Amino acid sequence: MSAEEKALVDRCRLGEDDAWRLLVDQFGQKVYSVAYHFTLNREDAEELSQEIFLKTFENLHRYDGSFPLVAWLLSLSRNLCIDRYRRRKRERSFRFVSDDAVAPLLKSDDDPAAEALKKERSKILFSVLAEIPEDLAEILVLRDLDGLAYDEIGKALDLPDGTVKSRLFRARAEVARRIRERHERRGTAGAFQTLAVAAGGVL
Amino acid sequence: MSCTELERLFLTGASSEDARRHRDSCATCRSTGADVDAAEEIARTLTAPEMPASLRTALIEIPRRTVSCEGAERLLPLAVENELLPDDERRLSCHLSRCGGCSEAAATLLAARDLAEPIAPPWLAGRLAVARPAKRRRSLGWLLGPKSAIAFAYGAAVVVMLLGFNPADLARRVGAGELGQNTRAAVLVAESSVTDRLGALQEKVSRTLAVWKGRAGGYGRAVVSNAVSLIWKTSGTKQRAVERPRNRDGRGAFKERETTTTSWRA
Repeated sequence: MSAEEKALVDRCRLGEDDAWRLLVDQFGQKVYSVAYHFTLNREDAEELSQEIFLKTFENLHRYDGSFPLVAWLLSLSRNLCIDRYRRRKRERSFRFVSDDAVAPLLKSDDDPAAEALKKERSKILFSVLAEIPEDLAEILVLRDLDGLAYDEIGKALDLPDGTVKSRLFRARAEVARRIRERHERRGTAGAFQTLAVAAGGVL
Repeated sequence: MSCTELERLFLTGASSEDARRHRDSCATCRSTGADVDAAEEIARTLTAPEMPASLRTALIEIPRRTVSCEGAERLLPLAVENELLPDDERRLSCHLSRCGGCSEAAATLLAARDLAEPIAPPWLAGRLAVARPAKRRRSLGWLLGPKSAIAFAYGAAVVVMLLGFNPADLARRVGAGELGQNTRAAVLVAESSVTDRLGALQEKVSRTLAVWKGRAGGYGRAVVSNAVSLIWKTSGTKQRAVERPRNRDGRGAFKERETTTTSWRA
């Protein structure tokens, strides 16, 4: 697979428009998905995706085909994603995820109640992701939201597979614990939470 | 709360059945496992956001917006020579605004072109003026040179010939040609006559005598001069010896600047 991807990259280096178009079609969706999960904003995700592909195009000569191209793309763009992620975390409104932010991530459901429940859970998930350490959050996003394999994540983040698995387990456990705690708080202080959300404040 | 068995099973890639058996037997891991299941369930409900068509178009256009580092290497030499096409200049500019390495390379190349000239040391102008060969003045003196004279002579001859003037005609007209021939014939006759041979012998003898006479006069004057000097020396008049200052050890010391030798003749 990497040999085919290396050949594709070489064709791009030679300036073949068809090869570049093929590369965009193969990896554009994945890159946009990762960018969206890190930014939760369409404009930011588009901007970040363009930045990632610009960087990819400018560094095509560095790809040696030793590991999957998508992992190489993400390794090139990791700093960009982390920068956006930190910028979002600095914003006070980040932990309060809007309906519009998660809407592109949900399938339409015939049952409005079920759709509302999924939307609420998604908002909680991204809100909790903003609370946990970055090294845990990025692995959970890449694995559980973007579906990357362990070796691809390891190559992208320059980590051994064991470390990837270990961090992924801790990330899942941390997210799960925080969701449970929120659920428990909401049960005891539901009225206060509702007021806080209605006021647009921070939980 | 400190059980790590569930994490160990996950890291070792144990089957979900093994993990479930442990969760059933451990209260801590049962709670943690339930939470993880809930989080994973949330993640599973999410789908990948669809990439907008406008973004795809923008991504495909990237090669027209910028160049790679390799492309920049090819364009930079042209940029230094101001020979870039407008599109390439725009693409290179886009890349340089984003790539630190290429931007540094471009700045260095362009700066090399604009480096200030080194200031010459003050003595350099004088040294160059001395070393430079004297400029040849354009004058008419060359007309007086031998080459010019030869050229003029040939030129004049050609002009005369072109005008149809033959010097032989003029000599024939004044009889010079006949005169020369008669003279040469007279000389040949004279050389073969006995009288001229005797005259030549007489001339040779007189020249030889004159040579010996000169030699005898010279030797005679030398003999007389030597005799006079010998008489002068033997007449009791002694030449005073040159006195030189003496050092403490009795050796002579030369006077200052007395290093040049002088010739002495008796």
